[in-house]
Amino acid sequence: MPDLLDFQVDFGAALRDRAQTPALARRLAGDPGVVDGRMAIYRANSVAAADKALSAAYPVIRQVVGAEFFHGLAREYQRGTPSTSGDLTVFGASFDDFLAAFEHTRPMPYLPELARLEWAAHVAYGAADAPDWDVAALAAIPPERQDAIRFQWSPGLAVVRSTFPVVRIWTIHQPGFDGEFEVDWSQAETALVARDGFAVTVTGCPPAEACFIEASLRGATLAAAASDTLERHPDFDLGALLARALATRLVCGATT
Amino acid sequence: MSAPVSPVGTGIGLRQPHYREVFERRPALAFLEVHSENFFLEGGASMHALERARAAYPISLHGVGLSLGSADRLAEEHLARLKRLVDRVEPALVSEHLCWGAVGGVHFNDLLPLPHTGEALALLADRVDHVQGVLKRRLLVENLSAYVQCRDSEMTETAFLAELARRTGCGLLLDLNNLYVNAINFGFDASEQLDALDGASIGQIHLAGHSVVDDCLVDTHGAVVCDPVWQLYAQACRRFGPKPTLIEWDTDLPALDVLLQQAAQASDIADREAVHA
Repeated sequence: MPDLLDFQVDFGAALRDRAQTPALARRLAGDPGVVDGRMAIYRANSVAAADKALSAAYPVIRQVVGAEFFHGLAREYQRGTPSTSGDLTVFGASFDDFLAAFEHTRPMPYLPELARLEWAAHVAYGAADAPDWDVAALAAIPPERQDAIRFQWSPGLAVVRSTFPVVRIWTIHQPGFDGEFEVDWSQAETALVARDGFAVTVTGCPPAEACFIEASLRGATLAAAASDTLERHPDFDLGALLARALATRLVCGATT
Repeated sequence: MSAPVSPVGTGIGLRQPHYREVFERRPALAFLEVHSENFFLEGGASMHALERARAAYPISLHGVGLSLGSADRLAEEHLARLKRLVDRVEPALVSEHLCWGAVGGVHFNDLLPLPHTGEALALLADRVDHVQGVLKRRLLVENLSAYVQCRDSEMTETAFLAELARRTGCGLLLDLNNLYVNAINFGFDASEQLDALDGASIGQIHLAGHSVVDDCLVDTHGAVVCDPVWQLYAQACRRFGPKPTLIEWDTDLPALDVLLQQAAQASDIADREAVHA
């Protein structure tokens, strides 16, 4: 193995496991005791980077569990799922699975679902800006082709299903929230994550609307998504959803 | 290799808590610097802020994640995203570090030290050539702060960087705090190392603060510039003439005015030393 690669493999092993430091120390100048202390600085830096990245993506979970516990979660998550990119904004995509499996968070089953909501919001934050689209284009589609319409939803839009009141939990932890803090834990909420201009919005989404939007996001035509939804939710009001989606620019394109 | 004209004068790092104040006050600064990876996004509030900044100031893109010195591979997908950002922002300066950060598919998201060997130099020269070819512009490579030193090193870091610049035509981003941190951690004379550099290759200077942990200076970018680093800066200005200079501050971010005061202090030193240059 070339010497440089060999060195980096040893360095990486010592970063991930302090017990591996002696093999590296032979390649470093200075007293092994000092090297051990210096490697601890690098180890702490790497955990701090993971903590900072996860804190940016999961600010609500960090508030819920506290900064100190969150730091421990970041360290454990990084140990099992190390970063693979020099871009830390993509780090943490599987944090929900970790929270579901980790012994100290397993008793809090709402955390993974909250994590899915926060990751969707994190993705929406950096999603492309919605293209300019003239809604009049929709009216120009002849009636006989309307069934075949496929909507283009605004970038970053996502439906997050949950068995917990995740929208409520998310809302009361937003900066500047000054309403009541009570949470009705019996409520299962589905969230619609979207962008309003540059702001990320998280709102409760009725089951029928969630069903339609999910089908449409998967590429279903207007007719297929609507009939699929009406079968399960006979009270589904397609007109009301579309009027709102067009007015708030959740839909920003349509093809036939 | 064409590049926009370098901004002469002092700039600061633009960080999210200061966005609004910077856009409202429009402080007189030669440029603003951001971490490239924070803007590897398609759109949204951060990209909009960067576009606003770009409309008012020259931008310096400072990379922390390319891992130029990783022996097993260069992350081409990372470079491709940097290329897209460079094309979008048309920055005045683009920089990265003389370091590695990933091996075997694991990224430590840190700036880790390289042995200063012929093997590492050959690898870095290939990588810098490749990056400059893809970006179609000159890259500045920054000297690193480090807490351990490789026994195998065959030359000083400054000699390594000087040779890298000679082979590739890249520029040097001279971080004087890093030089000072290493001088204390490893017991060498920073002023001597500074004198050994060729001013023509220096494209930018970084000034920052550090913290002290036990016997070690740690490069936290979370404090004011210390007196010995200001003295090195005066020496650099005397020897190399004015260079685009950045006040770099990443952790425990203070009020914008603290950064502006530090920037003003740097400008004063540069002006004063220019008279003696």
